[in-house]
Amino acid sequence: MHIAEGFLPPVHAAAWGVASAPFVIHGVRALTREVRANPESTLLLGASGAFTFVLSALKIPSVTGSCSHPTGTGLGAILFRPPIMAVLGTITLLFQSLLLAHGGLTTLGANVFSLAIVGPWAGFAVYALLRRSGAPLMVSVFFGAFVADLSTYCVTSVQLALAFPDPGSGIAGALAKFGGIFAVTQIPLAVSEGLLTVLVMRLLLQSSKGELTRLGVLLQGGNKKEAAVR
Amino acid sequence: MLPIDAAAHGSRWRRRHPCEKAALGFGLTVCAVSLPPWPGAVLVAAAAVAVLLGPAGVAPRQLWRAWRIPLGFCVTGAIPLLFAVGGPDGFVALAPDGPLHAVRLLLRTSAASLGVLLFAFTTPVSDVLPRLVRAGVPGPVVDVALVMYRIGFLLLDAVHRIRQAQAARLGLTTRAATWRSLAGLAATAFVRAFDRAQRLQIGLAGRGYDGTLRVLVPPATVSARFLAATAGLLAGIVALTFVLERSLL
Repeated sequence: MHIAEGFLPPVHAAAWGVASAPFVIHGVRALTREVRANPESTLLLGASGAFTFVLSALKIPSVTGSCSHPTGTGLGAILFRPPIMAVLGTITLLFQSLLLAHGGLTTLGANVFSLAIVGPWAGFAVYALLRRSGAPLMVSVFFGAFVADLSTYCVTSVQLALAFPDPGSGIAGALAKFGGIFAVTQIPLAVSEGLLTVLVMRLLLQSSKGELTRLGVLLQGGNKKEAAVR
Repeated sequence: MLPIDAAAHGSRWRRRHPCEKAALGFGLTVCAVSLPPWPGAVLVAAAAVAVLLGPAGVAPRQLWRAWRIPLGFCVTGAIPLLFAVGGPDGFVALAPDGPLHAVRLLLRTSAASLGVLLFAFTTPVSDVLPRLVRAGVPGPVVDVALVMYRIGFLLLDAVHRIRQAQAARLGLTTRAATWRSLAGLAATAFVRAFDRAQRLQIGLAGRGYDGTLRVLVPPATVSARFLAATAGLLAGIVALTFVLERSLL
């Protein structure tokens, strides 16, 4: 869910921009360090960003019968880590607003905060926690993607509730209203994205073990994790 | 290539400096967001449509196809404003000023979208990215964005063709088959993206790649006359908004 151009009042738009800035700057510094240390990473990171862009363009079937697109934040965070995802997500959102008229420039800060910061960090935290507690890779991947998707929509609900408080019950009522609307579609979609991410990861384990090892998802020569999966 | 970017490459204003078009497009967007929706957003929308269809030479059909996307999001996003929850009139009731708020929001968002579309329809992203370094964006970030932009189109094209092939092989006939095909599609996109990156790396290494992607930027100078006209238009919109607002009250 991208908040459309001009949807937020100017003060809110600016405030979310300010809130996102430290995370994006942190990501930019991490990315710059990585590229200066390994110049060939530019192409790998570019390919990762392009993959994130394309992933958000895929249509997934929803339980309600309609279609929606995955946020891609969970898979992105697991593969590339949240600081890098903050930058790649920001560039992706910028491209989406300019090339697809999806999202917006005045709402870029708000969209970056939900899709490129909270989603990846929440998803990655759950994924890392489950991995450390010994959960199988695919279970961790499912819950990582599920939480990333759902937390993105929860933050979007909060952003909309703060901007448009309910006339009767204020921000709490607006949060219930926007959250309730999203819950109908987004809980099934979060489950769908979790399942899709598991299927993608299974295929990647078969076809791209080298890349997954390089990205740190698998350990060097670490068939232990894969064995745990199967 | 995506339709908006394809239109931007063939735009009448392609050779104009991106700063000029950014000042006009984003200036209109800022006006749409900051001014009172009535009559400010209406004036901004009228000005943006006039510039888009007139001097910028965008085809009306192309503009509508691009504009209807944000418009659809705005309409669905404005619907919750029509209702109030948990008030004295019941758990869910019609909000007293709901329609007014929804219309204001629609005016603001539709006008703001037109401002950004004005920039997007006249300025290819490939003209903007290399210039961002001069604006203070770190070079590595711009390089990553450039690679994303170029590989993104190739991947989108590949995904489209794979999707067609999957459909032709009855890969989308049942829900289970659709899920399998979709997972295969995403995984193939990942593999292709990394394959492209590796091949690009080998090609660039053969040309003495030192970590900086050097691209030719079409030369363009900022026109003071264009900027003055932009400032005049924006000032005129602001002034007219306040005059009309007072006379309408």
